[in-house]
Amino acid sequence: MTHSSAATVLAEEDSNSIALIIRVCGEALAIPVTHVHEVIDPIPRTRVPRASSFAPWLINVRGAVVPLVDVRQRLRMPVHAANEGRVVVLDITLGAESFRLAMLADEVQEVVDIDPGAIEVLPENGSPWPSNYVTGALRRGDDLILLLDPENLFRPEQAA
Amino acid sequence: MNPAAQSYIHEARDLLTQLEQMLLDLETEASPEAIDSVFRALHTLKGGGSMFGFPALSAFVHHFEDAFDRVREGKIGISKPLLDAALEGRDHVIALLDAGGDEAATAELVGSDQARRILAALEGAVAGAPPAVVRLARWEVSFRPSKGALRCGMRPDLLLAELRELGDCRVRCDVSDLPVLENLDPAQSHLGWVVELTTAQPRAAIESVFVFADDADPRIVALDQDEPPAAAAPVEMPSAETPATAASAPAAPARSAPRAQTMAGQDTVRVPSAKLDSILDQLGELVIAQARLNQTAARLGDSTLEGLVEEVHRLVTGLRDTTLSVRMLPIETVFGKFRRVVRDLSTELGKDVVLVTDGGETEIDKNVLDRLSEPLVHMIRNSADHGIESAADRVAAGKPAQGRVRLAASQDAGEIVIVIEDDGRGLDHDKIRRKAIDRGLLAADARPTEAALAQMIFAPGFSTADKVSSVSGRGVGMDAVLSAITGLRGTVEVTSRKGEGTRLTLRLPLSLAIIDGLLVRLGPDVFVLPLIAVEECVEFDVTELTRNSGRRMLRIREHLVPFVDLADALEGTVENDGRRRVVIVRAEGERMGLVVDDILGQHQTVIKPMSAYHADLDDFAGATILADGTVALILDVAMLLRRLGGTGISLAA
Repeated sequence: MTHSSAATVLAEEDSNSIALIIRVCGEALAIPVTHVHEVIDPIPRTRVPRASSFAPWLINVRGAVVPLVDVRQRLRMPVHAANEGRVVVLDITLGAESFRLAMLADEVQEVVDIDPGAIEVLPENGSPWPSNYVTGALRRGDDLILLLDPENLFRPEQAA
Repeated sequence: MNPAAQSYIHEARDLLTQLEQMLLDLETEASPEAIDSVFRALHTLKGGGSMFGFPALSAFVHHFEDAFDRVREGKIGISKPLLDAALEGRDHVIALLDAGGDEAATAELVGSDQARRILAALEGAVAGAPPAVVRLARWEVSFRPSKGALRCGMRPDLLLAELRELGDCRVRCDVSDLPVLENLDPAQSHLGWVVELTTAQPRAAIESVFVFADDADPRIVALDQDEPPAAAAPVEMPSAETPATAASAPAAPARSAPRAQTMAGQDTVRVPSAKLDSILDQLGELVIAQARLNQTAARLGDSTLEGLVEEVHRLVTGLRDTTLSVRMLPIETVFGKFRRVVRDLSTELGKDVVLVTDGGETEIDKNVLDRLSEPLVHMIRNSADHGIESAADRVAAGKPAQGRVRLAASQDAGEIVIVIEDDGRGLDHDKIRRKAIDRGLLAADARPTEAALAQMIFAPGFSTADKVSSVSGRGVGMDAVLSAITGLRGTVEVTSRKGEGTRLTLRLPLSLAIIDGLLVRLGPDVFVLPLIAVEECVEFDVTELTRNSGRRMLRIREHLVPFVDLADALEGTVENDGRRRVVIVRAEGERMGLVVDDILGQHQTVIKPMSAYHADLDDFAGATILADGTVALILDVAMLLRRLGGTGISLAA
């Protein structure tokens, strides 16, 4: 009994610190795997007229209409039209509400363990990314992995 | 809370809804049957209350049960104060139910001034009630127990005694079947009785004597012509096979469907509406999958598969219709409560207003119905308050003193049409014009049509009432009504004739979950226009777009209709092959042409709500998945027209 519950706790900790690494505009972004539902190939998308450039499309993910999000807008990265990478389907829970969305990624790379001790805080000034979206960074070789806060990054009401 | 108490609360609510109707019915016609059903409802409420942990409710209802028992016995008559007290009492019982058995809240309600006031009013009403008008009727009651009845414990003497309790009896014994002495079996019954009964009690009371003796072949015939109408033509009791009580069901003519439903209560199942919602959701998915299946089968061209697909299509269609019908409720369920609204309003405003309803049997989706009752109350209040003049003014204008508000529902093609009509003073178009100019809604030199002026009553904060009553005149309301109705993807139109009355016409979709849509193409994008808003489709002369005068009007038969290039409105791209088409849509009384590249056809569409990211985009009512699996947006025509109306066209370009 004790053993199995300890194992569950361990598993939970593990899944929290496991992240999927994707690339957007050359930067490596880490999204906790607990939020990742699936990764799919690009499918026909429907333009939403007059929508913000953060969520300009809708797609059909297995019979559900799901907004397709482009994080570049919120991460202050250059937005250009062409984007033929992959689509990552995420589940986000905000308070009692839970919803599904899809985000564009130039590339989906790998799943890595995040060592909480190795997380570095980004400097207040000089970091181009809003600190409420990017909570920290992780060095890996020459690469810098940005840790995202999905609840904040995908919060709909900041869409303006 | 335990499930039994929960189910008592449900039933009590139903019962209270019916009780309100019954009480209002009593106002127009106090038949013994109607009084009886009020008494029975009260009795059931009281009994269940003490059984399921609502002793205070039970004690409260007891007073009313008592009062109606006296009415039933003919000791007192129905009076307005009594009905007033009973209606208020009913509202108080709802409050007690809402307290949900919570002791502190209940105690507070019981000790409240209101409770005391209601009971005092009831007491006063009972004490001051006029004696009942006793209507004695003569009946011929005959019965003949079957031969073996005595062995089963039948006691004809008790039946006779019970009949005597009902009133004055003259009993004759029918001995015609009595055999000669040597053939007589003393354990068998050979006698029949004919009783001439004079009583104030209804037929049902006589029938109830024979509830456990229906094999005695009871026949009840009214001897007088002036039998109470509810018991209708003097038909004989159904013979022994039918239980005697069944005869009381058709006795009350089909005046009120809810009551008929209670009669059939045993055969119905109470289902949480969330379950129905989820069935509908899944059905929606099924309809989409079905459309894709159709398309795939058509592409493969396999005749066996096509046969099968056709079969599935038929089944899905059947399933869809059945599921939708399960969610349909007669609109009467909300009409009912408006009678009370109008009754209370008449008292409050000191006007004599009567509500006439029509087409209450029209069925409408429960979700629509739930969201419809608030706006309807608003409109009815407005009609009674603003529309109907005081009795003196009415008489002076040569109208009957009693004002009339008519509420009628009907089904017309794929939509529900609800009309609210009053025979009051009508809209004052000049006054609306002045107000509109005052409020800057209208240019001082504008000359809008009467219809356009009438539509202005839906503008936010618009009210032409000079004084504010507790009911209306604050100008909040009609704009709320409009947004509620548009929220239901419906439309409102108002027409009015000065001095003759005002008519509001609501058009609503049958269901919120599935709509019929028209697919239109705009460059690479496909949009869905709800068919309810589409008037017609015509060819478009592209040169109209390049008129130097800037005129953007189309001549559709004798009318000029403004048009907008949908590509401009929706920031879309146009496939410029020179041949385009225009869809004439209509919402909120306005017509507009929307220019599109092509019309792809009709499509039955399951509406999916817009995501949280797009909730602020008013142009769309939702999204749907097309047969090819892509997503298409459903346009909210009313909102789109509002945005594009007036200066909107240049804004969008």
